[in-house]
Amino acid sequence: MNRTWTSRLVIFLTLAFLIGPFFVIIAAALSGGNSLAFPPQGFSLRWFIAVFEVKSFRASFGLSMFLAVFGTLAALLLGVPAAYAVTRYRIPFGEAVRMAVAAPIIVPGIIVGLALLRYLVVPIGMTVTVALFLAHTALVLPYAVRVVAASLENLRPDIEEAAVLLGCTRFGAFRRTVLPNIRGGILAAFILGFVTSFNQVPVSLFLSGPGVRTLPIDMLAYIEMTYDPSVAALSALLAFLSIGIVFAAERFLGLSRYV
Amino acid sequence: MRKHSFLAIAAALAASPAMSEDRTLTISVYGFNQDKFEELLYQPFEEICGCDIVVETGNSVERLAKIEAHAADPVIDMAVISSHDALGAARKGLLQPIDVSKLSNYDKLYDFAKDPLGDNLAVGYTFYATSIVYRSDKVGIESWSDLLSDELADYAAFPDITTTQAPISLYMLGKALGDDGHSMATPISAIGEKAGNFVTFYTRSSQLAQLFQQEEVYAAPVGRFAWSRFAGSELPIAWAAPGEGQTGGINVMIMTKDNGNEDLAHEFMDYWLSTEIQTKLAEALVDSPANSEVVVADDVAENLSYGADFVSTINMLSPAVILDNRDGWISNWNETVIQ
Amino acid sequence: MRTNRAEALALVLPAALFATAIFLVPVGILLSEAFRSGGTWSVDAYFEFFSQPLNQTVFFRTLKLGVLVTAVSAVIGYVAAFCIVGLEPRNRGRIFGLVVLPLMISPVARTYAWIVILGRTGIVNQAILGLGISDTPVRILFTETAVFIGLLQLFMPLMIISLVSAMENLPRDAISAARVLGANWLQVFLRVILPLTREGLVIGGTLVFTGSLTAYITPAILGGAKVLMLETLLYQRVTVANDFLSASVIAMILIVMSFSANVLLKRVATSRRGGTP
Repeated sequence: MNRTWTSRLVIFLTLAFLIGPFFVIIAAALSGGNSLAFPPQGFSLRWFIAVFEVKSFRASFGLSMFLAVFGTLAALLLGVPAAYAVTRYRIPFGEAVRMAVAAPIIVPGIIVGLALLRYLVVPIGMTVTVALFLAHTALVLPYAVRVVAASLENLRPDIEEAAVLLGCTRFGAFRRTVLPNIRGGILAAFILGFVTSFNQVPVSLFLSGPGVRTLPIDMLAYIEMTYDPSVAALSALLAFLSIGIVFAAERFLGLSRYV
Repeated sequence: MRKHSFLAIAAALAASPAMSEDRTLTISVYGFNQDKFEELLYQPFEEICGCDIVVETGNSVERLAKIEAHAADPVIDMAVISSHDALGAARKGLLQPIDVSKLSNYDKLYDFAKDPLGDNLAVGYTFYATSIVYRSDKVGIESWSDLLSDELADYAAFPDITTTQAPISLYMLGKALGDDGHSMATPISAIGEKAGNFVTFYTRSSQLAQLFQQEEVYAAPVGRFAWSRFAGSELPIAWAAPGEGQTGGINVMIMTKDNGNEDLAHEFMDYWLSTEIQTKLAEALVDSPANSEVVVADDVAENLSYGADFVSTINMLSPAVILDNRDGWISNWNETVIQ
Repeated sequence: MRTNRAEALALVLPAALFATAIFLVPVGILLSEAFRSGGTWSVDAYFEFFSQPLNQTVFFRTLKLGVLVTAVSAVIGYVAAFCIVGLEPRNRGRIFGLVVLPLMISPVARTYAWIVILGRTGIVNQAILGLGISDTPVRILFTETAVFIGLLQLFMPLMIISLVSAMENLPRDAISAARVLGANWLQVFLRVILPLTREGLVIGGTLVFTGSLTAYITPAILGGAKVLMLETLLYQRVTVANDFLSASVIAMILIVMSFSANVLLKRVATSRRGGTP
């Protein structure tokens, strides 16, 4: 065997380990039998249809979508100005500020969820939904700041200075010259944030209440209760959703430049 | 659909304090058979009361912990939990007495269900037997101690020490080993010695049914309330009649303190205890009736723990015994078994 | 760089205050709780925690699995990254995309697949029975092996990504030069590749180790009550007993472990560079 073939074999085996399980899940989901099995017994789409009939999945999918979309938007609202400040200004206590914004990445999610439950939800009677929203926003914030800052760094500051000299206000200059140029970065941050929030489990573990559950938490509970292939079907659908989003992002925006 | 959910959640975010003005009843129940409860109990009640039922599910001890965490501002209005967890909640001051005068079906209950904790702090709504469920094509179960047999090496499961099923199963195992004291020292050390027999220690009975389906487990103690899940399987699964007898317990309804929704909660409890609903739940093999007026066909009775006579044959542990000894069992278990 | 303080603060403060209020303050209170047992500042809670045999077992198991997963993904990661970097640029992009892909998919779905694969009726056991390696199915679920496999699949992409990025800057001639001068592959790795990619190893290693410590789903589904890890123990202590003291002790342990891993990896990586011949 020559070098090229050895290296192809290594890559193939590594990918088989990393991606292979999804093919198993998809095959199991297409099974016509009543229990999870591989190789599948017969072929049918009924488990994919069954997913849409589980009432709690519909509600939890709605909640997860809501958190992913609006949590990420809120994070961008906070994160874009911060990213701008980080790249364009010398900030007093810059390091401390940077640490504060990045903290959500360093602290294990389960601790964050527990801390919010104990010190926000219980004592001041905040609803679990609000706490989830705040937690997901904070969780996405570091990604928003980092990705947007990366695309701001690639943008020369003099264009905007020129706009100011030509009579624009600071904000006007930002809106007309900077914003259009970092649109790609903002979209990339949105997609990263969306995926992070949508798949998030540990933070949401403690932040669930009667009737309030995110989709991954709901799936965890469902897995324990059923052994039919509907969870495999749901997993496959979620995998396709993520793959679709990432593929589109890579295709149109070159997401990997920002990761 | 998606838009609709967004709006609903956005509305909830904006106006959550207003929620309490709607007629909403928040209940905390076992995760089992929720589709049937939805059809037979929740939906019909929602139509009668014109209110919404919001359901939280989980095992008894986890849901009790949540009720305690939210004690200052209760989220849950009424809950159904094991009788000893109910006693635990009562001792912590989390409960208020149920006003049995508001329960029109109260007098129909078997005596054991009427006031199991005293002071009307709880009302029994069902009881169950617990025995060993096993794969009849793989093993035979004659005694609780058969769980420790070499035949079951790496194929048995036992309830986790924190669950409701664990103390009563340990008690029966102890009985089989000749020690029916409340220290549980004999059965715990026996399980520790035979730890290799046990695939896992399960925390929810629903999870156990799945492990049987996957052929990970051939035998495990489990409550009769879970039986329909096993009986519906294509595998040959049987319910053991061990020489030492069966064990079991009572599940009760409780009312959380100062929940502000007492009227609706009483109404719901009464509906759940009615002959009509208890019959339907029994016929669907969901829960054994605590209402003595319920009469079911023989084939249903065979699948349920049924009737006052049957209750008297079950080896139960009193709630106080479980509550007073549990901490000791847990630390002994953690040192002996989980190591 | 502008230096207008007021403007800069106005832009950055909302984010910083938000992160402080939602993250730092609640987490800080939670962590400090374990130092305040009995009304005064003390570390008794930690001694108490480690005095229990179960907690010791869980701590060492978590440490062991974290180290194992990190080490194995580093070994596989180096080989895989080396092969990927050797590809022509177009293919390199595609393969890189496939490595990143699993990171975007729900960890619940990823872990669930292993139930199907590792179960007694799963593919692995069918292969074992089919090949006659054993007469009876081998139990893999609810063992440390199952948790190890699950964690490895979950976090190896992070290691590969970090190493590929580091190796892209590696001058190809350095390796061929070393080979020409008679170095064997081990020497090439230790003297050339490792020193030049240590940044990537530190980043990847920290990500994988921290990820393995703080994963919840994998130990919960594939390990269960018999193979508790710190994360599942924390969850169990809170949900079963409202034991917040143990929870904050575990939280502090997890943070200290992640932080020390980072420091240690940096140390190891730099010491190798100037290491003995």
